[in-house]
Amino acid sequence: MEIFLQQLVNSLSVASVIILIGIGITLIFGLTGIINFAHGEFLMIGGMTTWLVVSNGGGFIIGLVAAVLFVGLLGFVLERGLFRLTLDRPMNGFIISLGLIVVLQHFVIRFWNSYQKSIPEPLSGVWEIGGVQIIVMRAVVVLITAVVVAITFFGISRSRYGLALRASVADQETASLMGVPVRRYITGVFIYGSMLAGLGGALMIALFPITPFIGSTIVVRGFAVALIGGLGNVAGAVVAGLVLGLMDGLSAGYGLPEWTEAYSFALMILILLLRPNGLLGGTAGPRAV
Amino acid sequence: MSLLEVANVDTAYGAVAVNRDVSLSVAEGEIATILGPNGAGKSTLMRAICGLLKPKRGRIMLDGHDVTGLPPDRLAKLGVVMVPEGRRIFADLTVRENLRLGAYSREDQGEVEADIGRMESYFSILADKRSAKGGELSGGQQQMLAIARGLMARPRLLLLDEPSLGLSPLMVREVQSVIIDVRKNFGAAVLLVEQNAGLALSVAARGYLMQSGKIVLASAIADLRDSTLMRELYLGGGKRPPIKSRDVETL
Repeated sequence: MEIFLQQLVNSLSVASVIILIGIGITLIFGLTGIINFAHGEFLMIGGMTTWLVVSNGGGFIIGLVAAVLFVGLLGFVLERGLFRLTLDRPMNGFIISLGLIVVLQHFVIRFWNSYQKSIPEPLSGVWEIGGVQIIVMRAVVVLITAVVVAITFFGISRSRYGLALRASVADQETASLMGVPVRRYITGVFIYGSMLAGLGGALMIALFPITPFIGSTIVVRGFAVALIGGLGNVAGAVVAGLVLGLMDGLSAGYGLPEWTEAYSFALMILILLLRPNGLLGGTAGPRAV
Repeated sequence: MSLLEVANVDTAYGAVAVNRDVSLSVAEGEIATILGPNGAGKSTLMRAICGLLKPKRGRIMLDGHDVTGLPPDRLAKLGVVMVPEGRRIFADLTVRENLRLGAYSREDQGEVEADIGRMESYFSILADKRSAKGGELSGGQQQMLAIARGLMARPRLLLLDEPSLGLSPLMVREVQSVIIDVRKNFGAAVLLVEQNAGLALSVAARGYLMQSGKIVLASAIADLRDSTLMRELYLGGGKRPPIKSRDVETL
């Protein structure tokens, strides 16, 4: 039982990073129809930003804030400079994102190198609660994610801007007739999704060493989460992230650890066969006009 | 000065020309209608007026200011709001959320709740269904919601595109009285596009007849009703144009 609980807590921290990525992917797809495969690279850049700050003497908190801001700025620039031009044909945005993977990865490798990077654990220590050992840093990662998810969720379900966002996901044209500046929301969602990816990268490098190639593994997870939860559906992404994260952790602890990735894809295929719109229902992309 | 002035507007979808040299005007607080057969270009013109489609040529003026080519969200802020064909209710949002969204462009967000109350007292069905999802409403209820949602912006000009489409005769009567009240109670001018000529003629003060993308007749509603062209098109009373061999081929 103790081992089970310990695996549970450990897998929650992995689930957190996947959820942060999944929210960005699902929001960007829901509003623009763009499948942004470079989103994993945004996370990698976030991790590398944190590493740069910390290895130059900055604290982890500064590194984390820098990662969030820098990747947010990157998202803004890429949306205004590239993705905006593809809004009429989201497939082109998808192709651009594939190119961006190569560009961003090699930018990092060119100026630093391809070896794995790590930072000293920002918070050391282990809590012991009833025989279950919880690594403090992992608990903090889960906590930060929970807060961010709660804020995101509250913002989308309660605020005026969240209402306009949900309406834009459902029907951009009618939302614009009601006065919603849809293009500005698209930029906003790109920035917000990128900031979450930057945060994910900072939290990830606090847990494990990362290489410039981490993006592709993570983005595939993020997509699985977005698809399982229902594209465009933030609550769905959170639920699916938890399910996948837990499955990862538990399969690593009990089943065959080398099959960890396969389990999540088997689950994704199964769920999509049974519920093609995802667990909580999603969108097929913005309404074609 | 007219509230809305459309001057020599051409529209097109890609290479396909739709409207040619269309001019019309709507005065403050007036109900005007554009009549015409299916495919005459009425809806396309409406899309151009509300900013969803950029005109190829010509100007659209609001209060004498050029608003040609402004995006729909800017026009909504200026008081031009369209209730689109097919209602386009946000099916997953509640009735109240649909109404609140209608007020998105307003500066006075503090008064939005009070206006939702006004809508609920005028359209009583919206009060009964306030927590229902938009998609759960019947066609007629959705049309009422669509009009109320448009009014939530406190528009100066409400564009109504085929509000009676697909409704029962009873609901059509209701839409008719709502349109009159939009002007009377809510102070908005209305530009109405309708297939149902009877409905349009009964509410409007001014009418435009559109055929093949062009305005072929513009006049006060009484003169329009009595015109030969109108009879030919709608009432079957005039002479029908002979069928040309070209038309037969396209069949």
